[in-house]
Amino acid sequence: MSDNASMDGHPPNLSSIPAGDSSLWADASPLLQAACTGLRDGELIHGDNFNLFAAMSALEIMDPKMDSGIVRTYYSIDEAIENGAAPIPISPDSTIDVQCTIDIMDHLLACEAAWHKGHSLAQTVFSCIYLLRLDRTAPHALLHSYCRVVRATCKAVVSVVSDARTHEEEDLFTMVYGLPLNGDGDDKCLSMLNAVEETISRQLRACKAASSKRRLPEDLEPLQSNPNLEEGFCKALLCRLRFRKHFFHILACMKRPQGRGLESARKHIASCMTELDSILKSADFVRSCFGESCEGDIDEKTTASGHEPIGFDATLNSRLSAPMPPRAIKILSWKKAVEYFVKLLHDLDAICSYSLDPHLESLLRFVVQFQKSQPDLVARSHLQLLSVQDGKLYGRDPFFAVITKAAALPEATKNHDIQKNESIVQLGMLVMNLLKILCTNAAWQRRKLGKLLQDWRVIYLQLELAFRNEFGEVSSSSNDENICMKIFQHILLWVEEQTYWIAFRFLILGFELELYSTSEYCMVYWYLYAVLIKLAEKTHLKMAVSYDTAKRKGKKKKDSPKDLARESRIPPAVLFLQCYICLAEGLTMMLAALRNEISVFQSPGPFNTEQEKFAQHFELLQRACIPDHVSYPSYKESTTHARFSTLAMYNYFKDAQRMVKEVKSSFSNDPDRLAELRKLEQVAEHNSVAQNLICRLGALDPSLKVSFEFSHHPFFATVVVKRS
Amino acid sequence: MEAMAEEKTEFEESEIKYVSYGGEHHLPLIMNLVDQELSEPYSIFTYRYFVYLWPQLSFLAFHKGKCVGTVVCKMGEHRNTFRGYIAMLVVIKPYRGRGIATELVTRSIRMMMESGCEEVTLEAEVTNKGALALYGRLGFIRAKRLFHYYLNGVDAFRLKLLFPPPPPPRQEL
Repeated sequence: MSDNASMDGHPPNLSSIPAGDSSLWADASPLLQAACTGLRDGELIHGDNFNLFAAMSALEIMDPKMDSGIVRTYYSIDEAIENGAAPIPISPDSTIDVQCTIDIMDHLLACEAAWHKGHSLAQTVFSCIYLLRLDRTAPHALLHSYCRVVRATCKAVVSVVSDARTHEEEDLFTMVYGLPLNGDGDDKCLSMLNAVEETISRQLRACKAASSKRRLPEDLEPLQSNPNLEEGFCKALLCRLRFRKHFFHILACMKRPQGRGLESARKHIASCMTELDSILKSADFVRSCFGESCEGDIDEKTTASGHEPIGFDATLNSRLSAPMPPRAIKILSWKKAVEYFVKLLHDLDAICSYSLDPHLESLLRFVVQFQKSQPDLVARSHLQLLSVQDGKLYGRDPFFAVITKAAALPEATKNHDIQKNESIVQLGMLVMNLLKILCTNAAWQRRKLGKLLQDWRVIYLQLELAFRNEFGEVSSSSNDENICMKIFQHILLWVEEQTYWIAFRFLILGFELELYSTSEYCMVYWYLYAVLIKLAEKTHLKMAVSYDTAKRKGKKKKDSPKDLARESRIPPAVLFLQCYICLAEGLTMMLAALRNEISVFQSPGPFNTEQEKFAQHFELLQRACIPDHVSYPSYKESTTHARFSTLAMYNYFKDAQRMVKEVKSSFSNDPDRLAELRKLEQVAEHNSVAQNLICRLGALDPSLKVSFEFSHHPFFATVVVKRS
Repeated sequence: MEAMAEEKTEFEESEIKYVSYGGEHHLPLIMNLVDQELSEPYSIFTYRYFVYLWPQLSFLAFHKGKCVGTVVCKMGEHRNTFRGYIAMLVVIKPYRGRGIATELVTRSIRMMMESGCEEVTLEAEVTNKGALALYGRLGFIRAKRLFHYYLNGVDAFRLKLLFPPPPPPRQEL
């Protein structure tokens, strides 16, 4: 049904359409009319190539392109403009014009935050009619330059997120079909903004001078007509303009290759924070100068003044741009938008402060730590682009060099020809992929990490095969072959360690994402225990081999007592893992005992058993044999004999407490690890007490209720015992 | 202090009658319930798609002739597994908390199992504690978390129930 068809059954006269060379027009209206009256409401004509699924999928309710019942105020941008929806100037009264301009700036910021948070550009920033027809704002220098910078900023941000190319489920973000995102001369937008900033700065100086009764040589035109409000308006505008300027600079600096612009970016981030502060402080003035107060809760408004901005209509785009969900969305409140940008700036600052450590392990730890603050897509994309550029780490270090360093091989190894080996090349790609995935949102990340397990297992087997093919039957040992063997050996060990680290991460993310129910904790902690044992083993082995290699390189003839002592001491990194192992084992056994003795934390359903749940949760790990010889029967075997009496005999949590205390000193220079050790200590302490209580009273006191909280540590639960 | 009064209807569980989808006369009942209670607007073709192709998987609950709950499902081949999918589940407010939803879903799942499904799946908002508890009790696990699945920004869990493998065919002596 087109807009032109009338509803009263009189079709437009079609007999006037002339016949063409190979076409003849016939009026089909009577046929369609008959068909319409022949069908009842909700009936559907279907055929072989238009079945129910097609019918269901074809209709999109509330999408005006197919739901013609959807009524709009305006059906095109031009119609909106013709009807005064986006006037230029905004008001003939210069004071109101300035107030409205500030409202537009504030609402645009709120729209931008809403876009970053996951809505489409079309329904947020480009709901602004002024932005949709930027050229017509030219007579209004302030609005024009501001809108230009916003457009250029959005384009830069889309570019960053697109380049990261792991938009995860957030592919809504980069949808820009039909939106005027590219503007001629937008790269000069800052000079335009600077000009306007300069004018307003001069105006501010002028009114400050006027208030102190000093005369200025210049004769400036005031911003607006009320001299009492001039200073306030200048300040309110300046901080908003300066915020945009510095934010644009941040994006440009961070885009520079190999992290060259990070230090400059930090300066602009600091300036942005200052301007945001000023913007917040300007809210009182902006709100007060309107005279009448606005209705409703000011905190929910999208502008500092609390007034609705002029010139926005989210529905205009619904007919123009391609896939855009037709629902009305809620733009973030202005307050929340500012909060979002403050957080974004903090996250970007954390990225810019990173030292670009050539050690892969250091970057992995940094990314994991960074993700704890739950950064949003824009921040994460920047981290991803910093980490992997042009197939190199930080755009700087080839991945083979990174791998040899991570595998504790000597520096010179990075030039070895073995890097041309196909499996080694593939390994490099896997590492790149891993880094990218670690920068995505936790939900997406976990799914991808699960899939990665198979890839890492396969690469290990391929490398092992290549190793055996090369050195399996070799009796003579040329120098080069010795080196090759050493490289393979180290890399194989390192690949195994990384694989178990990925498995570990996959399992613990399940806690963060709340994927496990309490009745599943026992099997999860058991599996985690199994993975951690292997991880600790591989880490220890890698360190021992690397020490061995270093020793041999140094051509030491005799071990000094100090060397022997160092060799026999367990490295702190492994001790750290052993703390984890103790806690995992402790929780497994406690949960098993509780289940076996008083039948809690099990969840028998009518359709399946614990075995199916085990199979589902650990499917990807099992498929990749990580670890080997781990199965549901072995889980049952390990836990079936757990009782309160067995728990009383051995307190894993006390062990963990002791270990944490011992290992703390080794991490005195690592605040992140120290902080985590403290958390582990708290968990161990609480759980030790809880375990004693349960052992003494558990079977006897039916009013005892056990629950689990993640109040101290993100994946090791604190056991809480209460009387109900 | 006034307690939050949620008008609940008094009834005996035995008064609830469960019926398999019986035809066009049930369609408006289902549509009204779902339109009333769920936030997603569906066209009539969406309902038709489900109930025409899999009538045996949709059930309605009646109390004294009034339709108070419904479940709408489908099943089919999905990446080499034959899988059931629970599309809509509604019980009107005065009748909630009495096991009607559980009974409706259970009947559907049983039918899926008998039809050879290997697993059943659905999505639920992470904030929908009621649904998560209901499906958890039936043996569903939270297989995945879907970031910002719903347009209002809420995440979803993909819930999955894996049936045990069917018992091996008995050897005829």
